[in-house]
Amino acid sequence: MTGVGEAVRVDHISYVYPDGTVGLKEATLTIQEGEFLAFIGQNGSGKTTLSKNISGLLKPTTGDVWVFGRNTKEAPMSELATLVGYIFQNPDHQLFNQTVYDEIAYGPRNLKLPEEEVEERVTEAMRIVGLDESYREKHPFFLSKGLRQRVAIASILAMRPKVIIVDEPTTGQDFRQSIDIMDFLTMLNREHGHTIIIITHDMPIVAKYAERTVAMADGRILLDGPTREVFAQAEVLARANIKPPQITRLAQRLGDLGVPPSVLSIEEMANLIESAVRGGG
Amino acid sequence: MAEPVIRVEGLKWKYEGSRDWVLKGVDLEIHQGEFVSIVGPNDSGKTTLAMSLNGLVPNNYPGAMQGRVVVDGMDTREHSVAEIAESVGFVFPDPESQFLSMTVEEEVVFALENRGLPREEIEERMWWALELTNIPEDYLEKPPYELSGGEKQRVAIASVLAMRPKIIVLDEPTSMLDPIGKTEVIEVLTEMKRRYNATVIVIEHRLEDIAPLADKMVLVYHGTIPKVAPPREFFQDIDFLLEHDVFPPDVMVLANELRKRGLYDGPVPMTVDEAERMVREVLGRR
Repeated sequence: MTGVGEAVRVDHISYVYPDGTVGLKEATLTIQEGEFLAFIGQNGSGKTTLSKNISGLLKPTTGDVWVFGRNTKEAPMSELATLVGYIFQNPDHQLFNQTVYDEIAYGPRNLKLPEEEVEERVTEAMRIVGLDESYREKHPFFLSKGLRQRVAIASILAMRPKVIIVDEPTTGQDFRQSIDIMDFLTMLNREHGHTIIIITHDMPIVAKYAERTVAMADGRILLDGPTREVFAQAEVLARANIKPPQITRLAQRLGDLGVPPSVLSIEEMANLIESAVRGGG
Repeated sequence: MAEPVIRVEGLKWKYEGSRDWVLKGVDLEIHQGEFVSIVGPNDSGKTTLAMSLNGLVPNNYPGAMQGRVVVDGMDTREHSVAEIAESVGFVFPDPESQFLSMTVEEEVVFALENRGLPREEIEERMWWALELTNIPEDYLEKPPYELSGGEKQRVAIASVLAMRPKIIVLDEPTSMLDPIGKTEVIEVLTEMKRRYNATVIVIEHRLEDIAPLADKMVLVYHGTIPKVAPPREFFQDIDFLLEHDVFPPDVMVLANELRKRGLYDGPVPMTVDEAERMVREVLGRR
């Protein structure tokens, strides 16, 4: 983590939807620049509501959200969009232009940037997500889901937001596609300094990629800390209906043998077993 | 052994307008009562294979077919989708795409009424299907769209079960659901396996939940079927599966890793319970 400052400060916020549903209760957290986080929890736990409050798509009912020192209630959306980008789970919910180029150029054009810079940003975004130049004039609708998702990500990247929130990046993706997309987000995090927040139900992906995990239930933040420590809290997670990865669940049954409840990877588990066998002679 | 209820022979299929064969000459035999899990990466032909079992391919899609598919004695090219549907029920990934009715009750009995079954039999089948899918009585008057994702998918399964088909094909029945919904549907599949002697064919990425239920695993990869085996044999060669973009559950990969390190040479565990016994056995040798 190459944190150079505070990216997001969520200060005791609550959010009530227009129909009266309470989406968030007294949520507080601070995110440093360059972090890679996961928000986990059942549907309705508040993780999406929290994310939308961070991105400025929703404004807190009480409390404040500060993004790079700007209060989301006061900063104009055009400015917030350059600070936090929100990538929807279904790329089709955000794609609406006739060509891949226009889709990615839409945000920068809204910023009233000169067309030269728009072009430069589109080219860069396409390069980063690995979209070949030959797709520029294609209609997004006719691309595969994986490619449409890349277009959706590129259109957010073209805004060059410092924080990128991705809702369910691996839903409907197979193993290889999931790894590809997560490796790509890791590259944005490590090489381009973006702060990444994933919202997900995919616990093996959380274990493998997120440094920090925020577990939510019932509109509240239940646990917030290094992923390893969060997954070790089996009982708290069970109350929130969250199942840690299978390897972690195995570790948690072997406490009597000295296996810690925080094992996150197969490699780690195998090492523990090997050293117990060989060292224990 | 008895004649298989499904026989796929040298099946090749290409959708109109596509350059390559989606299925490149696959063979598969499935017997009555088997619980079959079809796995493999996206876009490798799993859904096309599933749709060839209820005749949607070739009857409802334009394209080119070679080889043959015989389902419950019917060659799918010689019988209509409606005829094949008497034997094969189909559940889609998105339950909403198949709802036709305003209430759960109407949804579950819709096809039975269409068949003109007597009222008593309709009732009996409805209660049986609702019980198997764990849908409470007070849901009958609810509109399907008011239900949670998992409940919707259970209603969709109930309406297929009520037809008592010999064969049920489920195409990624949990992929659109949250974890609670996924668990609910896996529980229904477990009940189906335990109490209903149908042939169940399910396409599913969640190997952790599906492998312990399956009698037979089928790997579909780039239009071919490189492996068909019972789960314990299917998961013996973990490296082969990884090379084919299938990621086995953690505990199986752990067993493979322990083997490579010369610490274990027993069977691959299917569940966390079995993995716990494996680790205790390995550590017991200290």
